[in-house]
Amino acid sequence: MGPLLPNDIIPFEWSSIIAIVIGIFFGFILESSGFSSSRKLAGVFYGYDFAVLKVFFTAALVSLIGLLYMDYLGYVDMSSLYVHPTYLWAAIIGGAIMGIGFVAGGFCPGTSLCAVAIGKIDAIVYVIGIMVGVFIFSELYSVFEPIYTGYFYGNITLVDSLGINPYWFVFLFTIAAVIIFVLVDMIRKRVKKVFY
Amino acid sequence: MINRKLVKFLSFRYVILALLFIILAGGLVLLPKFEKQEGIKPEQLLSNIISPERYITTDELADRIINQDPSLLLIDLRDEETFKKYSLPNAINMPLKNLFDEDSSAFLNQDAYDVVFFSNDNFDADQAWILCNRLDYKNLYVLKGGINRWFKTIINPPHPKENMPLEAFKLYATRKAASMYFGVAYPDQVKTNVPKRPRPTPKKVITVKKKKKAPEGGC
Repeated sequence: MGPLLPNDIIPFEWSSIIAIVIGIFFGFILESSGFSSSRKLAGVFYGYDFAVLKVFFTAALVSLIGLLYMDYLGYVDMSSLYVHPTYLWAAIIGGAIMGIGFVAGGFCPGTSLCAVAIGKIDAIVYVIGIMVGVFIFSELYSVFEPIYTGYFYGNITLVDSLGINPYWFVFLFTIAAVIIFVLVDMIRKRVKKVFY
Repeated sequence: MINRKLVKFLSFRYVILALLFIILAGGLVLLPKFEKQEGIKPEQLLSNIISPERYITTDELADRIINQDPSLLLIDLRDEETFKKYSLPNAINMPLKNLFDEDSSAFLNQDAYDVVFFSNDNFDADQAWILCNRLDYKNLYVLKGGINRWFKTIINPPHPKENMPLEAFKLYATRKAASMYFGVAYPDQVKTNVPKRPRPTPKKVITVKKKKKAPEGGC
């Protein structure tokens, strides 16, 4: 049956509208769970709040387990889902830069826009910084291009590159996630309480 | 009024959620394995099987071979022995049981050529067509009637009877011409260089006029 859009169960023209509706809900839930606060987001690096780690880890696992069940039952064909292409070094360098920005600024790109929406000044400055970064990147694109388009590995997933049964992988990943959650909670209890 | 039991239960809420998570993920591992449906959907396959669009007639095929159609790929599904005895020109031998060997998928799974399957009849070819169609291979055709029909129509076309319409005669002429392309010889078309027998030159009869004998004086 699914995915709905590629199989024309929902006409392609609806895709932008659906994206906007999902985006509104995503932003609303981010904001209402406190992710528009840079103190809460930065807490994951200082060890006083691991909400970000737990939320995104859980979200990934819920969707992964749900998709695998739906694939098994024939509601979604996982092979026709979009897999983001891997440009190895571009991803490593970009990830490192984003991590530094995350620690320094206290937002990730999505939550920064969410915080702009409720009028946070630090987030507005952060988004201006993103725009400056985008501008520099575009101007120097010819310099970055070999890294940006090089080291291309195709649309691979961890399951493909490790050659492991996806079900076992998800099971082990879930156990690892639960262990990480417990460890992270232990760290949080040891770190001095920060009120924010 | 605080429901104490509920409070006690909710204090374990993260543990319960974590357990639920592990159980769901473990369920994936324990799911019974089953062969996944490969290729196109059964309904699609059924409607494709019913459709006669896959058939290509011997006349059509002969026409394309004679016009040296570069997009034609003939695949002979009979065994090697019969293939060696006779096959269509430029055909590739790929016995039905070897259809899905590693090196054959390059011929079948492509969309540059029109693949035409044939065997002695069209039954083996139909089977091959269904198997490949299920895998969603493109541009597959079946020679209707196979080699047997090829012989009956192209190689050895039946002579139309006198009371048949003109079309039958035209078709016969086309098929006859096609069969000659494939190397059939007809006695009425055979041009043999019979050495011209030198016309017997009429013997010149030299009639020697007998001189009239002068009357001889008798004695």
